[in-house]
Amino acid sequence: MTTRRRNTPRVLYHMVRADFLERVRRYSFLLTLAFAVYLGYAAFSGGIIMRLDEYRGIYNSAWLGSLMGLVGSLFLSLVGFYIVKNSIQRDQDTRVGSVLATTPMSKTFYTLAKTASNFAVLASMVLVMAAATLLMQFLRAEDPHIDFCALLSPLVFLGLPTMAFTAALAVFFETLPVLRSGMGNIIFFFVWTALLVAPATQVFDRNGPVPTTGYLADFSGIVSTLGQMQAQVRRTDPAYNGGASLTLGDTQAPPAKRIVWTGLQWRPALILGRIAWSALAVVVALLASIFFHRFDPAREWGRSKKSKPPATAAPETEMQPERIATAQSSAAHLSPLPQTSRGIPFLRLVAAELRLMLKGKRWWWYIVAAGLSIAGLLAPMDAARGGVLVAAWVWPILVWSPMGSREARHSTGSLIFSSARALSRQLPAVWCAGVLVAILAGGGVGLRLLLAGDGHGFAAWLAGALFIPSMALALGVWSGSSKAFEAIYIVWWYLGPAHHTPGLDFMGATPASSTPATYALAAVVLLAVAYWGRRARLGYA
Amino acid sequence: MHLSIESVSKRYGRGTWALRNFTLHLGPGVLGLLGPNGAGKTTLMTILATITRATEGRVAWNDADLAANPDALRSTLGYLPQDFGVYPNLNAVEFLEYLAAVKGLDAGASKKRIDELLNLVNLTDVRKRPLGGYSGGMKQRIGIAQALLNDPQLLIVDEPTAGLDPEERVRFRNLLSELSGERIVILSTHIVSDVEATATDIALISQGTLVAHASPEALLQKVEGKVWEWVLPSADLNAARQRYLISNTARPSDGVHARLLGDAPPNGAQPVIPNLEDAYLYCLSQHRAGLVQPGHLPSGAAQ
Repeated sequence: MTTRRRNTPRVLYHMVRADFLERVRRYSFLLTLAFAVYLGYAAFSGGIIMRLDEYRGIYNSAWLGSLMGLVGSLFLSLVGFYIVKNSIQRDQDTRVGSVLATTPMSKTFYTLAKTASNFAVLASMVLVMAAATLLMQFLRAEDPHIDFCALLSPLVFLGLPTMAFTAALAVFFETLPVLRSGMGNIIFFFVWTALLVAPATQVFDRNGPVPTTGYLADFSGIVSTLGQMQAQVRRTDPAYNGGASLTLGDTQAPPAKRIVWTGLQWRPALILGRIAWSALAVVVALLASIFFHRFDPAREWGRSKKSKPPATAAPETEMQPERIATAQSSAAHLSPLPQTSRGIPFLRLVAAELRLMLKGKRWWWYIVAAGLSIAGLLAPMDAARGGVLVAAWVWPILVWSPMGSREARHSTGSLIFSSARALSRQLPAVWCAGVLVAILAGGGVGLRLLLAGDGHGFAAWLAGALFIPSMALALGVWSGSSKAFEAIYIVWWYLGPAHHTPGLDFMGATPASSTPATYALAAVVLLAVAYWGRRARLGYA
Repeated sequence: MHLSIESVSKRYGRGTWALRNFTLHLGPGVLGLLGPNGAGKTTLMTILATITRATEGRVAWNDADLAANPDALRSTLGYLPQDFGVYPNLNAVEFLEYLAAVKGLDAGASKKRIDELLNLVNLTDVRKRPLGGYSGGMKQRIGIAQALLNDPQLLIVDEPTAGLDPEERVRFRNLLSELSGERIVILSTHIVSDVEATATDIALISQGTLVAHASPEALLQKVEGKVWEWVLPSADLNAARQRYLISNTARPSDGVHARLLGDAPPNGAQPVIPNLEDAYLYCLSQHRAGLVQPGHLPSGAAQ
């Protein structure tokens, strides 16, 4: 018997190709591209602006290329992670993984191939942004001369290494049980923040050129780009104090002064930094192969410590006569059911949904939740609203996140939606259970506000308690996944309640930042959106 | 109690018609729905289970139009889909309690019924084990139990014996037979022996259309005198397959014993007693050859 030689590049090509085609032929990929187009539009319309205090660059190829390179690096590395962090899960769900596991393909090869496939998806988004950048220069018409090198090099050399690292990190997160779940989605946000903030603070606190370590540690390219821009402005304006920002949703007046940005200087440290991040992507992908379970159900099942491994199904063997006799004597003795149900069936359903939400949570989860609720009752009012409540309402994030998508995730939709009044009873019951979780988790603060007679504060608290599950339900129903809520909620929570940002603070963490009417209205709208989404997905309303 | 399916068609997007002009009227009993892969069985099941709407036509349960009032059927429907999932952190009792709540069943009565159902599907010993640790066959049995939770008048089971061991398959067949008296049971399967053991009526479906609706006896009558056993040398088997519809072969020492279907047997072929599998294959081959009008059977057809 001869052994067939494997053509490794061909196998890699087909792995990446199949995975890529499977993704791009889904409607969700259009949304992904739409997001890349939106980023281009936001940069064009001033929704995203890069400023150096009073300065911005004229919209020439170099400035637009650098702007879009950074926009791509920053925003696609965050959103893109959540988009591509499902490639191994998909193989698991479609059972293609079991087939792949029986081939001679190594774990290392698999994680590298998945990284390459993730990278292909993210790179396609960068490509869309490159086209948008070119279009933007035509439309802005501040400088008609197109310099392709200056336009595209930031997207290619800043954006793509960042995408490669993001792609590998997504695979790594999928291979570790604790990071594979919703917890991983939350942890990534803090990892991403640290990757951006750590090198940036090192550089922007100084008033000098970017040090070599700054270039090397620069995950997104923001330090390198803004650092060189700062240096150029300093040369022409000694009064410039070093301020630099790249802002989404900038509300300040547009910068009054202009510079002619000539483009990034590709210094050895900068090039080395980009190579280092690309190489690190490969290292992370290799590291992921150590933890990759190779679709072994025993290792998959290892996630739940309390549970026993799957029982072995009885083999299809010839039956013994006595077993046949036993089977044949199994009579159906089923008691008749009463025509009417005692109690209120809807409340039973809410209780059942609540139990389903909380099932599987460990004892320490309840201890922390109870501790936060009690702390809200005992802490000084400002600390209770601004600190304890903020923590208490991020703790159950993984309880809320499966709302609206649990049926899709576990393929129980056909069992549930063929029941009577599935739309009018089950969906509201899920929402009520989510609100109950919010009330119980933040109950201490709510009670304090009520007892203190703080009507506005209590209204803000109540609006938050209604808004959070409404958002979870709407996002779950429409996306069919818990990931959208986990990603959006944690970012919103960080920017809004955690920083007491007016307009974004949906919890009412401080009296100044709370806007209860807005979020109460948003809760109603989101609930209606969830209802509409579920109705649209059911064959019969 | 009756279910009317009148001229029902289903088209997915702008693509293929999965079901075309399908008409069937059912009363109490077990209907075995037989057909090849992609025939439209599961599409029909999902329409009847109110999961998806028919593109054309009308389905009525006791004269209530499903399009206007799906809950008229849902409150008394038991449905076991071909593919379904479970919540892995719940155990069997918790999962069935959850579905009982979704179906709006009485708490006390459903507890008792869950105990009985778990006993019926032989899962009492593992009732407290999380469903994530169940084998495929055990999950299938949970599916059977949930379909019977609300004492359904219409029970739709799609490939119910897939993944069951022989003992459980026999148990399930017996259960279906016992349940069929006061309700309509629709059993979709590829396994002809399951239908043979339980069905009072059979509907053959192919390429989205109804090929035949008849009692098992009427179907068997249709192939009476058309099933033959022919002993031939092994070397001639491939050539024989080109000329005749061969449903089975056996290889004892005297050559290949081929079971073939047809009006004109080869020389030396002996007539044998037909079974339901022969009837199924014969009807499908006739349909593909355009020799049978959909739904028409000349004698003994079920109403």
